[in-house]
Amino acid sequence: MTQLRRSSAVLTALLSLSLLSVVSAQSGSDQLNIMQSEPPRSMDPADQTATFTGNVLAPMYEGLTHFNKALEVEALLATKWSVNKAGTEWTFTLRSGVQFQDGTPFNAAAVVASFQRQLDEKRGLAASGRFRSVIDKVTAVNPTTVRFTLKKPYPAFPRLMSGDAAFIVSPAADKKGTLGRQPVGTGPYSFVEWKSGEYVLEKANPKYWGKKPSIQTLKWTWTSEPSVMNLAIQSGQVDMVNPLPPIFTQVLKNNPKVTLLQGKGASVFWLSLNTKLKPLTDVRVRQALNYATDQKALVTTLLRGYGEPANSPLAPADFGYDPTAPGYPYDAAKAKKLLSDAGYPNGVTISVASQEPDSSIVQALQGMWAKAGITLKIMQMESGVWSQAAFGTPAEKAKAGINSSFASWSAGTLDADGQLSPLYATSSASPAGANLGFYSNPKVDALLAQGSAETDSAKRKAIYAQAQRIISQDAAHVLLYYPSDIAAVQANVKGVWIFPGGGIQLEDATKGK
Amino acid sequence: MFTYLFRKVAMLPIMLLAVSLLIFSAVRLLPGDPARVMAGPQATQEAVNDMHERLGLGRPFIVQYQVFLSSALRGDLGESLHSKLPVTQDIAERLPYTAGLALTSYLFAMLVGLSTGIFAAIYRGTWFDHLAMIIAILGASVANFWLALMALTLFSVQLGWLPLLGADSWKSYILPSVTLGVLPAALIARMTRASMLENLHQDFVRTARAKGLSSGAVYLRHTLRNALIPIVTIVGLNFGGLLGGAVITETVFNWPGLGRLLVDAVRFRDYAVIQGVTLLTVVIVVSINLLVDVLLSAIDPRIRFE
Repeated sequence: MTQLRRSSAVLTALLSLSLLSVVSAQSGSDQLNIMQSEPPRSMDPADQTATFTGNVLAPMYEGLTHFNKALEVEALLATKWSVNKAGTEWTFTLRSGVQFQDGTPFNAAAVVASFQRQLDEKRGLAASGRFRSVIDKVTAVNPTTVRFTLKKPYPAFPRLMSGDAAFIVSPAADKKGTLGRQPVGTGPYSFVEWKSGEYVLEKANPKYWGKKPSIQTLKWTWTSEPSVMNLAIQSGQVDMVNPLPPIFTQVLKNNPKVTLLQGKGASVFWLSLNTKLKPLTDVRVRQALNYATDQKALVTTLLRGYGEPANSPLAPADFGYDPTAPGYPYDAAKAKKLLSDAGYPNGVTISVASQEPDSSIVQALQGMWAKAGITLKIMQMESGVWSQAAFGTPAEKAKAGINSSFASWSAGTLDADGQLSPLYATSSASPAGANLGFYSNPKVDALLAQGSAETDSAKRKAIYAQAQRIISQDAAHVLLYYPSDIAAVQANVKGVWIFPGGGIQLEDATKGK
Repeated sequence: MFTYLFRKVAMLPIMLLAVSLLIFSAVRLLPGDPARVMAGPQATQEAVNDMHERLGLGRPFIVQYQVFLSSALRGDLGESLHSKLPVTQDIAERLPYTAGLALTSYLFAMLVGLSTGIFAAIYRGTWFDHLAMIIAILGASVANFWLALMALTLFSVQLGWLPLLGADSWKSYILPSVTLGVLPAALIARMTRASMLENLHQDFVRTARAKGLSSGAVYLRHTLRNALIPIVTIVGLNFGGLLGGAVITETVFNWPGLGRLLVDAVRFRDYAVIQGVTLLTVVIVVSINLLVDVLLSAIDPRIRFE
């Protein structure tokens, strides 16, 4: 008996000792700990297309141009650029005296090599498709001048060059074949370590050509569990979480130690309507669905107010977005009337293919639409299955009875062409592209072709304003909303801002005591 | 005994072959294309096709399996699509963390489970017994996931005593070990109590008491040793369950172990990693079962495997 008592006493002592010891303070003001929702997919900027991977890479890399805080394109590794009259030859003058973190000089040859690998089909780099469809060839005019010859005029080219996939990589590192694990760019931070299961560590680059960062090290971690993000920021053990699920905004808004950051909406959430399958072949039925949708209620309840109702197929951050484009106000009576005009006085039944994480959105629609006599049948799918179903042919969709698909899209270039062409051009009809509802209007096709080649921005804007209105009028979709990208930082972290789409901008970041 | 062990060990390669074929086909039957996942949601169909070629996914299934098998026999489990490291290296980096967590959580489960079970049996019918068994039922039924979040909220966020994430110091082990250890602790407590009760009224216990042995010696040396057989069995059988629980616990605690490696691998459809981790898990579970057999014969010399 005594023996037992002693061992349980030891146990109790051990337990209480461990519970009482206080956690030592984490890193000081020279390290920024950032937690995101997924691990990086690659350390090679051209071999990934994910925003959260781009965030990890961005401090180490730079492109020829970048977006400033006003979302305008600015020179970065280039000092200036010009374009020929036809809009097919873009010439960039490069910054001199810049070195990659491995000591390789940055020059025209490096830029050519960096894009040549993207144009090489055999490399099959993940992000290369968007360059291959635009760029014909890249040539070094002299050591500080590079010329891009395009396959067709492409006015949004500087925007394309400002994306993460256009980061310039060290040609020496690319030759070694180690970029997938060990990034080498010209950015203000250089790579220290990627411990696959745990973190990516970066330290300030002493050889950086521009303004030296105030924070010395960056540590990136990740979790697939949203509630852990909330706990992590509340406990003070990380300095920033991105993206913050809207459900936690209520709690964190009232926490004086935490600041919420919001990026201008870059993505559009919508239901693409299958225009090749009855009853949605009739534009009146498609319009009825739009009138039956209470966008404001969706924004208040699902996004906790962090977003805006969508009035256009373009997002507010996109070039060409028209804030005056008329959307569909909520009007259940009008929806009912349109349905009865179309020959459905007793309402219609519509199915939607949606993914598990979006279930609350389609359920909300189900409730709303019931009031207008529309029965929504939810077909919930795992993401892989959904991709297969949503990108089906008209025949496949008819067979599976899919009337609509829930989806979202953001154009990385923040340009109208990147948003409208893949979603509404006849040539992008699924499975070739993301026009999931087989929407087809020759007038829109003509406008999109015109807009993608027009070099005068005012004229381009006018073209897209017209296209937005026609697409909305045709009700190719049920537009829902533009969610804001939300991130949370500790109140002592200043100067960080969120790029539309969830990009973390750290160039002016500071961290107080 | 040795023939028995030899037979079991000889079965292992056949079992691994069967499991490898099963896993190899199962991951490929999963809907979702690793090339699409790697290329990202906005990659063009052309880029996805190129990626498909690059990853060698265009070849016939049987050829892919043959390549996998012949390199696996040479100790090469392929390369992770995601980390670009050899799978063996990925596993070697993560294994110590999962092994450490399994060890500490089992230690916790044994200490708490055995002592609670023994006391509950000795003080059968008292308030301690009732309370302990109610807690054990709760412990056996509570969701691992929920418990982990509650523990984190209390000890890391509210009180700030323990680290929330990662595996940086010994303190990082406390919350995940306890969370993961609660289920086996509850099972062990209930099993120990039942098994002790069964033995407490046996003749040999009465004899031991009659010899004038102290109660400590009666309980520990005579009753517990005999009561251990079902306990060891349940501990062994539960090890597989513990590894399953580690998948959830590691995800919540951001633990850099095999469980989280597996979760991320499934998410990214990282075939080579899923295969590697699963095969390793099979080897571990089979080895633990063997170890339990050996232990059982050490505890009860009457047990022989013929």
